[in-house]
Amino acid sequence: MTGGWRKPVLRHIFSVQPRLWRYGINTGQAAIVGVGATPYYFRGESAPQTIYELIGKAALAAAADAGLCITDVDGLAFYANGFEPGLLTEMLGIPEINFAATVAAQGGGSAGILDLAAMAIETGRAKAVLCIGACQQSTRRYGLTFANLVATPNGIWSRTAGLTGGPGQTFALVARRYMHKFGVRREAFAEVVMASRAYTANRPGALRRKPLSLDEYMASPMLADPLCRLDFCLETDGALAFIVTSAERARDLAQRPVYIAASAHGGSGDWGRSFFWLNMPDAMFTSAGAEHTARRLYQQAGIGPADIDVALLYDHFSPLVILQLEDYGFCRRGEGGDFVQSGAIRHNGAIPVNPHGGHLSEAYVIGMTHIREAVEQLRGTAINQIPNAQFALVTGGPAPIPVSGAILQN
Amino acid sequence: MNIEIATAPDVRDVDVPKDAWTQPFWDAAERGELLLPRCVNCGHFRWPPGPFCPRCRSQTVAWTAPGAGQIYSFTILREKKDDGSVQVIVPALIAFPGADGVRLIASIAATPIDHINIGASVELSWSPAKNASIPIFRVT
Ligand SMILES: [Zn+2]
Repeated sequence: MTGGWRKPVLRHIFSVQPRLWRYGINTGQAAIVGVGATPYYFRGESAPQTIYELIGKAALAAAADAGLCITDVDGLAFYANGFEPGLLTEMLGIPEINFAATVAAQGGGSAGILDLAAMAIETGRAKAVLCIGACQQSTRRYGLTFANLVATPNGIWSRTAGLTGGPGQTFALVARRYMHKFGVRREAFAEVVMASRAYTANRPGALRRKPLSLDEYMASPMLADPLCRLDFCLETDGALAFIVTSAERARDLAQRPVYIAASAHGGSGDWGRSFFWLNMPDAMFTSAGAEHTARRLYQQAGIGPADIDVALLYDHFSPLVILQLEDYGFCRRGEGGDFVQSGAIRHNGAIPVNPHGGHLSEAYVIGMTHIREAVEQLRGTAINQIPNAQFALVTGGPAPIPVSGAILQN
Repeated sequence: MNIEIATAPDVRDVDVPKDAWTQPFWDAAERGELLLPRCVNCGHFRWPPGPFCPRCRSQTVAWTAPGAGQIYSFTILREKKDDGSVQVIVPALIAFPGADGVRLIASIAATPIDHINIGASVELSWSPAKNASIPIFRVT
């Protein structure tokens, strides 16, 4: 590691308002109190369990973790088209539901479930919200859902240009433009993948654990030049669930509360449909479309990037980790490549990123594993624990708006 | 080593869906003309073609020739064919200095891949789909 990157230098990037009270301006009244997860499986290996069985197992585990009964749940929060509230309540015997909502996004909305849950708790709509995310790619292979979506009058040009394989191909267009504009090299993308692999070496539940060398990365076949197979996330099955309740109630439950200091879903109109549009203004084209969310989160929490101890960044494609580091102000625009190559995202770096291995090396459950890791870091129980972590940033995927993020605090 | 040549994807079976706002694009394409929708009120080019100008919200457009295009970005895909050969497909974004803000998503064809660079000037040709002519580009 060459060092030279120190967090306090970055303070000026966002104008940070003074913190109004301990948990930010208007949030922190809600807390994550329970986490549940199934094992993670390679695509297809979760059979013969159905996706609802996986969800049920995660939900029951989350309730048990919190020291609650599943019958205490009276709210549901989803994203990525959600799941059937009626079927879930029938299946789990939940006596009543007072809130059920879905973030109007795919992977972009993962952290947004915390925004919905916090709103339900803060307004008194619900007392305990179960947040659910799951995927089982034997029934729906996410990388191949693109073809249908581009067969519309607005999207057909992607299809006729040969972009039929998924967002990885369109993010390759972003990556190449970014490389051209700022002189970034593939070694920077490699570092994101190698760092994620270094973090999974000691994680029994992770699906890719073998350390990765730069030579091995460079030998990986190109799927959408300049992106190789290793720049793409894993295709896996699994379910995770979180229980969010009031901060007051959280203090009497089984686990150390993890407060939602800030949460947001939305985005700049200039980001629009993102990889379906590809007509974002030039400056935004080489971003992750997250600057708007970053500003809102820092403002709500009353902190800036220098205060974040660990970042859980949605890593469907490795270059998007670098672009999010820029959007969230951990380094300056165009310097993300040098930043990661300095060792900044490693365990002892300026801002450790995805110590769980992320989508690239642990498992892909559409952003949910990132929330789990944020909670474990702030409880102090993470496998790759960042010492004294107080604030964790967790993001939803760079994708059509709404995109999302949250800042969690212990 | 053989130089790889980019070729256009086979779109002969593609049924292009059209609506009232994209129809004029395809009508012009049928005549071999590339036209883009420009707001009559404020002059802003919008993409994709749609019912409102995102800058001034007026509806009427003038279908306008954007002039020569340049490569804004591209990716390289290699597709294995049934006969074992590999087709090199280069989806690209084509920007038009004469139509600020519009990037057309189209493939680069008939060009050695080492000639394909960001900023390269391109010229237009057409590839047949089931019910439309698809714009493709060649590096000049
Ligand atoms: Zn206008």
